[in-house]
Amino acid sequence: MNVSRVLALVRKDLSLGPRSPLLMYAVAMPVIITLLLQGVFGNLFANPPRLGIVDLGSSELTAAALEQGGVRVSLVTDADELQRRVAAHDLDAGLVLTPGFDAALRAGERPPLTFYVAGESLASDRVILAVTTIDLLRGVEGRRALVDVEVVAPGGEGVPLELRLVPFAVLLALFAAGVFVTSFSFTEEREKRTLDALLASPMTMNEVLWAKGLFGGVLAAAMATVTLALNGALVGQAVGLLLALGVGAVMAALFGLLYGVLSPDTKVLFALFKSLNLVVFAPALFYVFTDWPRWIAYLFPTYWLIDPIVEIGQRGATLGDVWWQLAIGAAICAAMVVLVGRLAQRVRAPAAA
Amino acid sequence: MSTRRTREFFARGAPTRAVSRAGIVWAIVAKDLVTFSRDKLWMVLTPVALVFIVGVFYLMPPRVDETLVVGVHPPAMAAALRLAMGVGDDEVALTVLPFEDEAAMAAAVAGDGPEGEARPMIGVSLPLDLLLRARLGQPATARVYVDASVPPEVRGAMTTAVREVAATAAGAPLPVAWDADEFVVLGTDRAGEQIPLRERMRPMLAFMVLLTESLALAGLVAIEVSQRTATALLATPARTVDVLLAKGIVGTLLAFSQALLVLLVTRAFGPGWGVLLLATLLGAMLMAAIGMLTGAAGKDFLGTLFYGMVFLLVLMVPAIAQIFPGTAALWIRVLPSYGLIEAMTGSSVYGLGFRELSGHLVAAAAWTAAIFGLGWWVLGRKLVRL
Repeated sequence: MNVSRVLALVRKDLSLGPRSPLLMYAVAMPVIITLLLQGVFGNLFANPPRLGIVDLGSSELTAAALEQGGVRVSLVTDADELQRRVAAHDLDAGLVLTPGFDAALRAGERPPLTFYVAGESLASDRVILAVTTIDLLRGVEGRRALVDVEVVAPGGEGVPLELRLVPFAVLLALFAAGVFVTSFSFTEEREKRTLDALLASPMTMNEVLWAKGLFGGVLAAAMATVTLALNGALVGQAVGLLLALGVGAVMAALFGLLYGVLSPDTKVLFALFKSLNLVVFAPALFYVFTDWPRWIAYLFPTYWLIDPIVEIGQRGATLGDVWWQLAIGAAICAAMVVLVGRLAQRVRAPAAA
Repeated sequence: MSTRRTREFFARGAPTRAVSRAGIVWAIVAKDLVTFSRDKLWMVLTPVALVFIVGVFYLMPPRVDETLVVGVHPPAMAAALRLAMGVGDDEVALTVLPFEDEAAMAAAVAGDGPEGEARPMIGVSLPLDLLLRARLGQPATARVYVDASVPPEVRGAMTTAVREVAATAAGAPLPVAWDADEFVVLGTDRAGEQIPLRERMRPMLAFMVLLTESLALAGLVAIEVSQRTATALLATPARTVDVLLAKGIVGTLLAFSQALLVLLVTRAFGPGWGVLLLATLLGAMLMAAIGMLTGAAGKDFLGTLFYGMVFLLVLMVPAIAQIFPGTAALWIRVLPSYGLIEAMTGSSVYGLGFRELSGHLVAAAAWTAAIFGLGWWVLGRKLVRL
């Protein structure tokens, strides 16, 4: 294999890359996915009850409510606006605090307090907001019961959902760059017959595969690193993380080459993506649904790609903890090299002819 | 063709039988449908997408779980907890599971309880002498066991409920006058009868089908443009208008039929079926227009797909916003698909009719007309310049 020829093809792909919408897609993917995960899906599954307060008398309750965790508090200008927002279910419940409310509360006058509830709010949210409001009222009143409440998590503290979704984001980044870019680049060469021209030059099929794999693999590693950094998961042992990202990028590029050699044109490639993506992304589901039996995930090759990255990048594991997963991942990569090499023979024959 | 037959053909000249415009348009429509049916990619993807979308719908839970399942130790405190939280025995908001043993309750919360028994998401262990201590004004310690998945608002509420049990026991009245009259429910009260997420997602699923079909039409248009078969078509009596009209009909037909199928299979048609049907038709026309636009813009399959995905991402936003409670942000409300999605949701989820949804339907029709006009103009220019 001639390294300078491989690098020449990589340079060609690099210079033509910016013209391809796919490369833009691969580069933009980490940012888009991170925004979606953090801003949309994280909130979708973890949506705290929303309480609106109209404070007409600078009540201490408002300040205490704003500091209260677990409830999203909004300040509303007047009662009509509050009722409109509660009716539209922009808020789950709302309160109107009249002037002198705190003084009346402390004097034990039991002032009336209307609690507006959205008809579409969950029954559980209504209870949570009502109980929270009572606690806030007791706080202002200065008559909280002398009970020390100890919170115990027998199964350990869980990982927040937005962090559980990070493996999805990393897999997407790896595959957008490693699989999509590599496979489309190779298939386009086949479809436009430029592969024939390349093979008519001193370049061999192995060198073409190396060049395509190198370009996609390096891009995949870079995009996965960016995704981890954007999601605040770039912590832990640097050497271990680099090694894990390296194995992940190599496997992604090999998947790309596999798809590429299997697809005579971009339409077949697109159909392959549609049908095989479920298998490729399935392991990420086991990080979201943590009570699913983990052994099922072991059956998917991409599990051995993503697990070491998550363990080191998110959970602070060391290389010593994940070496065996990396070894299995490397073994899968070796098997894929053989498979891609064999399948490439079938591509080479008609192209050379 | 033999030389003799060629001479005879040219001697006869072109066929003189007059063909109506409708006949020409129909012939192009039929040709496009045949081309579509021969495209293995779309013939595989279309049923796969339909099965996937319907499968997703039926796999989602048909009900909304709005009940807090709480374990209580000792069992005698169950009633006090309900009272402190202001929830009656028959209300869906709270299910209390009494436990004789605190360790068993902790195990149940952690998911290590006996098979087949209900699992509390949270467990409250109150000291046996809590009531006495509360009355005497002495401090006490209670324990709240939580599963890792319990959100902070539920933890906070249970901690508060424990304090409220003690306050009630100490004889402290509620600090405010909170009778039934003070609880005002605004809008239709759906406690216990919430609309499941899958019902809210139904318009989004139908919209996904529409969007997929816009990509299919874009593919057909891109082929016509890249392989120059459009030029061949325009060499026949067919005019540019006929080709454009045919493309619009094909795109609308493909998208409408499949979206309709998804809506039927997911049992979306209720009292507001007329609005839903009209909104789906408008959606299909909008997608046909986008198919014409992206098909004219993309140079190849990949380019068409890329441009199509850009439209897809933007137009999906109002559909995704439907999943969240409350009013969508202003920037979402000005997107072309907002009116369509609102009309589809209003008719299929809330059973609203033409009168309530007329504003959304007018907005959807205006956007559809505008984008259809744009698609028509862009593709028309492309065909003329080929």
